[in-house]
Amino acid sequence: TLRLICTTTAVQRKNVGASGPEKYTEAFIKKQIEEFNLGKRHLANMMGEDPETFTQEDIDRAIAYLFPSGLFDKRARPLMKHPTEIFPEQRKIQWGEDGRPFHFLFYTGKQSYYSLMHETYEKLLNVQKHQDQLIAQDLPLQKEKRNLVGSRWLTKIELEEMLLEKVSDDDYSRFIQLLQKLAALPCADIEEKYIQKFSKEVPVQLQQVIIEPLQHDERGVAFSTGEGKRKTARATAVVYDNGTGKITVNGMDILHYFPVLQDREQLLFPFQFLGRIGKHDMVCTVSGGGRSAQAGAIRLASAKALRSFVTEKEVEFMRQAGLLTVDPRVKERKKPGQEGSRRKFTWKKR
Amino acid sequence: RIMPVRWSRYNPNYLEPEVKKESYQKPLEELTEEEREQMELKAVRPIKAAPPSLSSSVFSDPMISKFTNMMMKSGNKVLARSLMSQTLEAIKRKQLEKYHKAPENEKETIECNPYVIFHQALKNCQPIIGLSNITKGGKTYQVPVPLTDNRKRFLAMKWLITECRENKHRRTLMPEKLCQELLLAFNNEGPIIKKKHVLHKMAEANRAYAHFRWW
Repeated sequence: TLRLICTTTAVQRKNVGASGPEKYTEAFIKKQIEEFNLGKRHLANMMGEDPETFTQEDIDRAIAYLFPSGLFDKRARPLMKHPTEIFPEQRKIQWGEDGRPFHFLFYTGKQSYYSLMHETYEKLLNVQKHQDQLIAQDLPLQKEKRNLVGSRWLTKIELEEMLLEKVSDDDYSRFIQLLQKLAALPCADIEEKYIQKFSKEVPVQLQQVIIEPLQHDERGVAFSTGEGKRKTARATAVVYDNGTGKITVNGMDILHYFPVLQDREQLLFPFQFLGRIGKHDMVCTVSGGGRSAQAGAIRLASAKALRSFVTEKEVEFMRQAGLLTVDPRVKERKKPGQEGSRRKFTWKKR
Repeated sequence: RIMPVRWSRYNPNYLEPEVKKESYQKPLEELTEEEREQMELKAVRPIKAAPPSLSSSVFSDPMISKFTNMMMKSGNKVLARSLMSQTLEAIKRKQLEKYHKAPENEKETIECNPYVIFHQALKNCQPIIGLSNITKGGKTYQVPVPLTDNRKRFLAMKWLITECRENKHRRTLMPEKLCQELLLAFNNEGPIIKKKHVLHKMAEANRAYAHFRWW
């Protein structure tokens, strides 16, 4: 399997539930739940709190207090959670005492996947029949387009969790294609509920960022700070209002610190984009990295600082221009058996 | 464990940044359906950081930066950039000389903007059709094949640079030679235009093998 370098947290989680039939019996899990509840009440008694209203957060705080641990990995520290979170949901045995399987698609090997495809195709045929009926009665087809932008389909891992069995990449893509076909039909509103089971809301990006308010220094001039980084360079920038457009880096003017035109262009990029070139003063400190990395770090820091001076719409424009994202590109490591990160040793025939 | 060869540090969800100021100042009514969908998509998806060679100022041009990157040797961007600016200056000077010497009625036809000359010259150098080697039945044939936009631009720039690096008098500097070639290409003359015509003629000659192409 290919190892992805760029991963989100959803992709990194390993799905234990789909690995095989149950390793824990039902009776065992029930016993664990009883023990957990008893232990919760004992813990509440120990801490002097009310056993009835003892939430999971209180349990975590109590355990962290009673068993302090200096281990770095949070997953290695002492843990007390409800058994359904610790022992992942796994499939019960699929056949009865006489050996006959319960599900009619058991012998396909991927019963839940094929039954899901079967159901989805049934819904598709339903929608098409409804459409044909409407056409036969000469009624207009409803053409409200479902807003596909604010929602995304389930990822492969989430689908595996739902079905409790392994889904291959090919199968997953076929399922998504079928869902898209279903959602694209004009009369898909009938099966809206079914489609919503497999789609998730994606929040608008901007709402996840908090913009800090302006601060004022002794003379009453408004200023704001920002931090930026690029490769190994770290920079902090302080942008003052009512200025002449002077920029100071590590105590030196930019003409002395950045003799190259490209770096100076990068420093002025956020100001030029917002049209505020002569209006702000900037004082920044930067360390680490090379010439271009320091320029990129200061650019990010000044863009972050300018967010507090500007309306929300312009912050969204800055984000879409790529001024507010941290550049994740770093130097690739050298691999053993190769001369550099990509270059291989000279091939000699003998 | 297999590592993919062409990967990037960005999630595939990330979209390309749009740097030009004008595209953000258009009011909502002027946008078409596609542009509206694009805008909504951009509001939801994360966006990559703008690279250091891209800027919203009037002076940054994607074609010029591509050309500077192709001219660069061993990562010496400073030198490549200075050569490029010297070339554009030289073009401007030559055109101004011509402008001041020309009579009144011809003054309007002389183009002084070096960026316009660069773009027009590149356009004139781009081949329309290319040749590719296809092996069939043991023999390799040169089959005429349509080229994508990127490939056309790349070939035009590559021919320009190789022409300037090799076929010049020993003492001429790169900016001077580039400036001469660009002005010749602007007027549809010069060795690069000849090369393009030769390629077109070869493609026309091998027209019989065009059915070997399967894509």
